[in-house]
Amino acid sequence: MAIVLETLFKILFMFLLIMGMVPALIWAERKGAAFIQDRTGPNRASIAGIRLAGLVHPIADVLKLVFKEDVNPADRHHALYNLAPWLVMTVAMSTYAVIPFGDWLTVGGQRIPLVVADLNVGLLYVLAVASLGTYGVVMAGWAANNKFTFLGGIRSTAQMISYELSMGLALMGLVLVFASLRITDIVAGQGELLFGFLPKWGVVVQPVGFLLFIVAVFAETNRNPFDLPEGESEIVAGYHLEYSSLKFALFFMAEYCHMVVGAALIAAFYFGGYQIPWLPRPVLEANAGLLLTIKLAALVLFSAFIAVLFLRRVQRERGKFGDARDREPVLGMVFWAGLAALAAGGLLLRPWAVGPVGADLVATVFQVLAFVAKVVFFAWLFIWVRWTLPRFRYDQLMNLGWKVMLPLGVANLAVTAVVLALV
Amino acid sequence: METFLFWFCGAAMVLGGLMTVVQRSAVVSAVWLIFAFVAAAGIFALLHAPFVAILQVLVYAGAIMVLFLFVIMMLQGPVLEGERRRMKPALWPAVAIPPLAVLVLVGTRIADHGTAAFTTPLPAGFGSPTHVAELLLGRYLLAFELISIALLVAIIGALAIGKEERKLPWK
Repeated sequence: MAIVLETLFKILFMFLLIMGMVPALIWAERKGAAFIQDRTGPNRASIAGIRLAGLVHPIADVLKLVFKEDVNPADRHHALYNLAPWLVMTVAMSTYAVIPFGDWLTVGGQRIPLVVADLNVGLLYVLAVASLGTYGVVMAGWAANNKFTFLGGIRSTAQMISYELSMGLALMGLVLVFASLRITDIVAGQGELLFGFLPKWGVVVQPVGFLLFIVAVFAETNRNPFDLPEGESEIVAGYHLEYSSLKFALFFMAEYCHMVVGAALIAAFYFGGYQIPWLPRPVLEANAGLLLTIKLAALVLFSAFIAVLFLRRVQRERGKFGDARDREPVLGMVFWAGLAALAAGGLLLRPWAVGPVGADLVATVFQVLAFVAKVVFFAWLFIWVRWTLPRFRYDQLMNLGWKVMLPLGVANLAVTAVVLALV
Repeated sequence: METFLFWFCGAAMVLGGLMTVVQRSAVVSAVWLIFAFVAAAGIFALLHAPFVAILQVLVYAGAIMVLFLFVIMMLQGPVLEGERRRMKPALWPAVAIPPLAVLVLVGTRIADHGTAAFTTPLPAGFGSPTHVAELLLGRYLLAFELISIALLVAIIGALAIGKEERKLPWK
């Protein structure tokens, strides 16, 4: 019973992490694109004048997609047409089951590993689920019975076949180094130090593998520069052209879920997952009080600084708009000042004198935060790349996959094996 | 629980296989075949072979069926009504009875012997990647390599059949 309950809680945590990050990423994509293209970006949607720098837009988006008319092509294959969006979403969500988001959490003297399913074939599970991911796209393209969607589906299949091999080969190098297919083992192995000072992260021991993997992940998530399945300039909108309303929303959400899973995989395999460099778990626990104090003090300073910035905006922009938007800086100031006060109140509770149970909890929270921070960074990397690089031409895509990445992957695997045999 | 899962996966497999055969559209057939493969992976997982189960999904349901779908779609195009005629309903029982018979046979055997086959304690690490690798690259190495040669021959044969005759290097 206890195991069912804790598994449910872990699934809930992962689900909330993903579902919380999807709207945040949609916002980051728009604001990031605007930043890179030197524009302002979305800032019009508001609730009672509060715009939150465009953060209200995802809510408006969801409402729009829910209440839109669901238009379906007449000559569709009914079953597959309806199945495709759900399949895409299910596959996008199921990879998270094997990604550890923390070391362990002690509840009532029992250590609960912070991973939903600790499979001894976890890494293969990731590859297997990734290989199923293309079916939703292919079914959508085929079942809509439209030449453009069909081309999008076909492109997605060809791309998947070409890049899955490189992805597997890149990961095999990692498996040789850490001698396990269990993802928790791989992440735990990355907590060690190489030559006494270098964190033994995947990117340090497998730099070529990392490059291959990150390119393959971009290809598998169908993100720019590999978004040929939806190339607007050639095939209108690709596989999801004939979908509208909530079915389209599922494709849209699945793309961002794939981004989060891609970022989590990069973080777990090549950037130490939840490991904080040079701060292994025992050190974290021993210095939990100090770390917590520093963290709270930094939060106080940061929030107070932002609050001061908002205060200056209040003074400068008094009556600027002459409508509800004038409330915005005041509310911002109140929010950040409140946060600073909250953190200061936390400091009054003497966090430096935290007990062993508290130290354990603090260490876990720090590790989970490290993992989330890495995921957020790599999710931002997806957005950054999308607005920096142009899309590949189809022959370039195939040449890169088969003539560059595949030989590089084989060479990397061979070199890794020889080096490991000699050392 | 194990018995229920066995019947569930077994029935799904038979259903998937049957639908693969009787569908009119080749694409829908392929989708049902994927369904049958995933159900087969469920049976492997029930038999304490997680490694084989995952490989079943990765290789058959994933890689091979994607290629199948790709080829079918390339040849057929976005047409819902394929040229294939639906199998005559009179023939359906002929296709359905053999797999159903096997399923019922195995199922009743399980019912007779209880779930001992599923719950007998196994040596530690049974079915793990290490265990499979030791068998595959140790005891069964020769068979393993011979199969790979057979596959290579099949690939070359397919290439020879598929290519136009005058373009073959030895002509």
